[in-house]
Amino acid sequence: MSDPQRIAIGRDADIVMARQAGRELAALMGFKGSDLALIATAISEIARNILVYAKRGEIDLSGAEEGGRRGIVVIARDQGPGISNVEQAMRDGFSTGGSLGLGLPGARRLMDEFEIESQVGVGTTVRMRKWVRR
Amino acid sequence: MASDLAGTADKTLAHEMGLDEAAIERRRRLVGLGPEDSKRIATIRDAITQRAEEYAALFFNYLAEVDEARDFMRNRELVEQARRLKIEHLTAMVSGHYGAEYALQRLRLARLYSRAGLEERVFMAAFHHLLRAIGTAAVRAAPEPELGIEAFFSLQKVAFLDLGLMVDVMVAERERLITRQQEAIRELTTPVLQIRDRLLMLPIIGMIDTHRARLLTENLLHAIRANRAKVVVMDVTGVLAVDTKVANHLLQTVAAARLMGAKVIVTGLSADVSQTLVNLGVDLVGLQTIGDLQGGIEEAERLIGYEVFLRDARPNGVAAPLRSL
Amino acid sequence: MSVPILRHGNVLIASIQVAQTDDDLLKLRDRLSEMVGQNRAKGVVIDVTAFDVLDSFATRTLRDIAYGSRLRGARTVVVGIQPDVAFAMVQLGLDLGAVSTALDLDDAVAELSRPPSEVGRR
Repeated sequence: MSDPQRIAIGRDADIVMARQAGRELAALMGFKGSDLALIATAISEIARNILVYAKRGEIDLSGAEEGGRRGIVVIARDQGPGISNVEQAMRDGFSTGGSLGLGLPGARRLMDEFEIESQVGVGTTVRMRKWVRR
Repeated sequence: MASDLAGTADKTLAHEMGLDEAAIERRRRLVGLGPEDSKRIATIRDAITQRAEEYAALFFNYLAEVDEARDFMRNRELVEQARRLKIEHLTAMVSGHYGAEYALQRLRLARLYSRAGLEERVFMAAFHHLLRAIGTAAVRAAPEPELGIEAFFSLQKVAFLDLGLMVDVMVAERERLITRQQEAIRELTTPVLQIRDRLLMLPIIGMIDTHRARLLTENLLHAIRANRAKVVVMDVTGVLAVDTKVANHLLQTVAAARLMGAKVIVTGLSADVSQTLVNLGVDLVGLQTIGDLQGGIEEAERLIGYEVFLRDARPNGVAAPLRSL
Repeated sequence: MSVPILRHGNVLIASIQVAQTDDDLLKLRDRLSEMVGQNRAKGVVIDVTAFDVLDSFATRTLRDIAYGSRLRGARTVVVGIQPDVAFAMVQLGLDLGAVSTALDLDDAVAELSRPPSEVGRR
């Protein structure tokens, strides 16, 4: 399987880089048309979340193969302030950072699997996966 | 090379079915196949391999007599390929080794049967017939009938291992075929029709599940671009079971079309269904609906800028033109 | 990279060719705002054909541009949202609100030429 690709998120341009890298990897794994846009958009939202809330973080992209199906794994990590109420943050429309409320719940909607771990004062990790539709 | 390609396809199938060494080991244990059995089978090995061609012929002659296998038997090339693989199979059955290689061989044969349309029960009947013949021969060939019977019982375990593998493959292949057919049907039942320049119609019929809604939406959006559509008439008269989920799928389709600059007019939404949706709290604000299809098309034409005139009935037959504003 | 903004009568056309960062989009917003005033433009067309992603930030900025333009008497039309992008947007739950959309430049200019009374009767 492909080695994980790490993209540091520290400024604006990194969001574009992360989503383009994600799109390329997704295409390699066999995703088509609209799924490519979905994945790139999800990555864009997650990357921006890092930038806005934690100023810095990284996104790891890798391909996945399981039980005959292929997919993409996106892991976004930061050592930011963390989210005190993850449930609330995952509710559509909720936001403390100024109408960026669609970021996390939005990304979850676009991906097949979504996990988020956050600790106040420590940081946040988001893991998402999407599988090629057969 | 054709055989290489086949090999790859078999390996992919094995992977998809989760047939690794561990899984094959489990299958062997399930039928109780162990080293003792291999020893017993060794005693009748030669008797079987020497007559492998004969036994293979038996198998196919049986199929030739079965109505359901007629189509399969008609395909000479396929039958020839199957015959060769069958001889290999019989030789392998008495080899004493039943690991990954053995399983892959079974997969290959099963896929061939599957592609040829041979049904599991027909295959099993022929296999059973073949086994009986081998059993009889085994008993006769052994130094003592008892040893022959024991060897045959061991061979039967291998036969069950085979059956398990082959039936699983044939079922998996059939499911895949059904999925492909369902896709094709979905495609056929969600056609996007261009009824005028820049005017598309999307008649939606049947049940709308998430998968179908997605297909529908994607088709429509691509059609909007390809046809430069300004208006889409989406007729939902034929949609079964309009509930909140279906309504939301349709609303999403409308929203996506709007993003591409195309206006959507929904027709065929009965008063009942509309009321149901309102009661369910579905937000229909902004959705342009018109009762019947005819009305919807007329409104769509008007929006695009067409004016439709009845041809003049004057004697000199001057027709008023269809013009685009 | 600066987005070329052309003038076509009293319509400004911003044709975005290259992937835009958040910052680029904000700069575009400010430039358009200034130019609408300077040129007394009546219409603004933003061509996003080249966008492979229209996420929440881009969507919000487009709406901001439209809002700002309206304050200065100009209507905005976004053109060229691609099928896959439109699909992803609705899946994400994004919408352009009252911002008009059109398939391409021709339609956008036609849309902007329509008398104000026709607007809203879409």
